[in-house]
Amino acid sequence: MEKSTKNNNKKSFLKEGFKSDISKHHKEYLGTTVSEGYFAKSKMSILDKIKEEEIKEMPKTTKKQIVFWMKPQFRFMAAASVVFIFALTIWLQKADNNTINENNIEFLAFSDDVLINSLLVEDAEMDLFADATIINEILIKAELSEQKMDDLFLNSLFVEDSLIDNYTDDGFLETIIL
Amino acid sequence: MNKDVELVKKLKDVTQKDAAFSELLDVYQERLYWHIRKIVTTHENADDVLQNTFIRIYKSIQNFQEKSTLHTWMYRIAYNESIRFLEKNNKKSYDNIDAISESHLEVLFDDAYFDGDEIHKKLNSIIDGFKIKQKRIFQMKYFDDLSFRQISEILEVPESTLKSSYYSSVKTIEEKIFL
Repeated sequence: MEKSTKNNNKKSFLKEGFKSDISKHHKEYLGTTVSEGYFAKSKMSILDKIKEEEIKEMPKTTKKQIVFWMKPQFRFMAAASVVFIFALTIWLQKADNNTINENNIEFLAFSDDVLINSLLVEDAEMDLFADATIINEILIKAELSEQKMDDLFLNSLFVEDSLIDNYTDDGFLETIIL
Repeated sequence: MNKDVELVKKLKDVTQKDAAFSELLDVYQERLYWHIRKIVTTHENADDVLQNTFIRIYKSIQNFQEKSTLHTWMYRIAYNESIRFLEKNNKKSYDNIDAISESHLEVLFDDAYFDGDEIHKKLNSIIDGFKIKQKRIFQMKYFDDLSFRQISEILEVPESTLKSSYYSSVKTIEEKIFL
């Protein structure tokens, strides 16, 4: 505290302020010191500590490198692909099942015993079965019946006159009743 | 300041980082030590905080956006590290601010690295009597030789407030020191 004891003028106590040597400045005004060579030792200690910290963090870095390609954007893409493939598989399976069901129902609807077959159809598929039956009974069978009538008239042209009455009677009966 | 810009470039370059960091320690270690020491009181505490400060600087230099100078940025880190240290320790040791202040002086004068006489103790007591912000402003300006602008960036206080606080502190010290 050389400065303060020399200078008894209180107005100039803080006038000089900071000098180039910061440690000296603190010692002069506040009486705080450090041991000799402290800063050199401290520097080495800080550098060592930083090396230690870097070594500690090394495994984390390595771990990160291993999964580098598994960055969030890649992970999301991979997950989305898996979900898409899974969904596609399920959808294809379902589509196949629907086709089989439709074939089955058509098979049941086109057979002769429609009422008995209706017992084999599940409730959920009843509408589909009914549609198939209507198409079968009304459209297809009517069409076939019409074709038969046409055939009947055409064939009647080739039948002898004496036999024509019997032929048409049988033909009409068969076509209209069935 | 140009030297600091160069230093930052080197610090951000992985190939030059270690050499640049050693250079950084040469330039700033002592200054930051004294900045920290005045906040955390004892040499032992200052040594711990100084180490943490430089580790933090080393780790976060890549994130330094150069909006402020390297000098100011490092002081801010040192200041924050010191405050963090105090908060961590004061929770364990003290119940109120007055107790902290009394203990602070006791701890300071009992420290093996305090070599002051009566006048030093008196100056320390006067500074310690300031409000915490006023104390930091005076210390940063008078002992750390920071500009008002730098202090303003570190403490986030307007420059005009800093100036009036500082000159008021100087006046108080000069009036009380030889009473």
